[in-house]
Amino acid sequence: MRLRSLSTFVTIPPPERGRRMDGRPSSEPARDEWGGLMVAAQDGHGGAYRRLLSAISEWLYGYFQRRLPHRDVDDAVQETLLAVHRRRHTYDPRYPFKPWLAAIAKRKWIDQLRGLGRRPTEALHEDLSIGDHEASVTSASILVGLLERLRPAQAQVITLVKLQGYSIEEASGETGLSQSAVKMNIHRGLARLTAYIEGAQNVE
Amino acid sequence: MSNDGLILDLSADLVSVRRRSALREAILLLAVAVAELALFLWLGMMRPDMGRMIGSGYMLWKLGSLAALAAMSCATAIRSFSPVVSPRTGSVLTLALAGAAIAAATFIDPGAASGSAILDRLSPARGLLCATSIVVLSMPIMAVLAMLMRRGAPAHPRASAFASGLAAASCGALVFAFCCPINDPLYIIVWYSAGCVVVVMAARWLLPRRFRL
Repeated sequence: MRLRSLSTFVTIPPPERGRRMDGRPSSEPARDEWGGLMVAAQDGHGGAYRRLLSAISEWLYGYFQRRLPHRDVDDAVQETLLAVHRRRHTYDPRYPFKPWLAAIAKRKWIDQLRGLGRRPTEALHEDLSIGDHEASVTSASILVGLLERLRPAQAQVITLVKLQGYSIEEASGETGLSQSAVKMNIHRGLARLTAYIEGAQNVE
Repeated sequence: MSNDGLILDLSADLVSVRRRSALREAILLLAVAVAELALFLWLGMMRPDMGRMIGSGYMLWKLGSLAALAAMSCATAIRSFSPVVSPRTGSVLTLALAGAAIAAATFIDPGAASGSAILDRLSPARGLLCATSIVVLSMPIMAVLAMLMRRGAPAHPRASAFASGLAAASCGALVFAFCCPINDPLYIIVWYSAGCVVVVMAARWLLPRRFRL
C-alpha cells in the first residue's frame, strides 16, 4: 500500500476554544490555580500536590493521546509526572504554570519518540486477538500530521510499524523495501521528527 | 503501577523544596570564576606589563570582548536550565558577538608582529599551550554548569550543554587573558578559538550524557 497521503488516516479539525481535541469540554483551569497548588507543593503540602498531580495527569493524558501511539500514552504520562516531581523546585511562581508543564511534557514526548525508534519491533501472533488500529492511529493525530513532514517512504514505514503494529517483515512486504531499508527509514524518520519537534516552538 | 498509585506515592511524605534561583546560580558561577582568577593572579601568573597595557586598545578589545562573551554566554546557559527558556537565541547572539569581536580585531594594530610571517605570528608551539590552558581553566566552570544543569530542568539538554560549553570556554579564556603575554590579535583569534571549540565540543558531548529530566 502506498501512502498517498497520511490525511487519509485522519483529518485534524482545529480544536474549538474551550474544548479538547477529543470533543469533551476542556478541564483546563485558570493558570494560577495549578501554579498556586504547585507553590503549596513546593512548601511540602501533600494534599495540594495530590490534587495538582491528579489534575495535570488528566491534561497530560489528552496531550500525549494526540501525540503518541495509544500503547505509549500511559508510560509518557507517568514519566512526565515523575519529571514534574523531580524538577518541582524549578517552577518559578512568578510565571504561569502551564508553559512550565508543557515544556516538560514536550521533552518527554521527544524522549518517547526516541524510545519508539530504539524499541525492537516484534511480529504479533496471527491468533492474537486485537482490536482494529483505527483508534490508536487517529488518536495520535498530531504525530500523524507531523509524519507528513517526512519523506513518504519514512512516513509510510513509521505508520505501518510504529502506529499500526506491522512487523518489519510485513512492512517490508507491504512497501517493497528490504527489511534493513525499513529499519533505516524508521530510524532516520524518527530522528528527523524529533529534531523538528525540538526546534519548533509549538507543535500542534 | 496505575497513575493514581503513582500520584499517591509521589504526594505521600512530600518534603518542601528550595526553589531554584537563577540569580543564586549566577552568583555561584561568578564566585567560582573570581576565585579562579584570584588564584591565578595570586600565583603570580599575570602578565608583567599589565599595568602598562591595560589601557591599550588591544587589551580593551581582548578583555572587553571576552568579558562580554562570558556575561552573555553565562546568562544564556543559566536561563536555559529552566524548561521554559530555549538557549538557542542566546547562543546565536553569543556566536554573533564572537564574530563581531573577531571582525573588530581588524581595527586593532598588531604592533611589532605586523611585519612577521603568518606562521611566526601564530607561533604554534606557544599557541597550543595557550589553547590547552584555556581548556584547563574552563573545567571548573564547566563542572559548576554541569551540576547546575543536572539540578535544573533544561528542556533542550543538548542546546543547554552547548550554551554551557560556550560559557565555560569564554570564562576560561577571560581568566587566561590576564596571563597571556601575546599582543597579536591574529594569535588570539586562532588559539583562543581553538581552545574554546574544544571546550564547547566537550560540553556538548559530556553534559547531556545520562541526563534525564
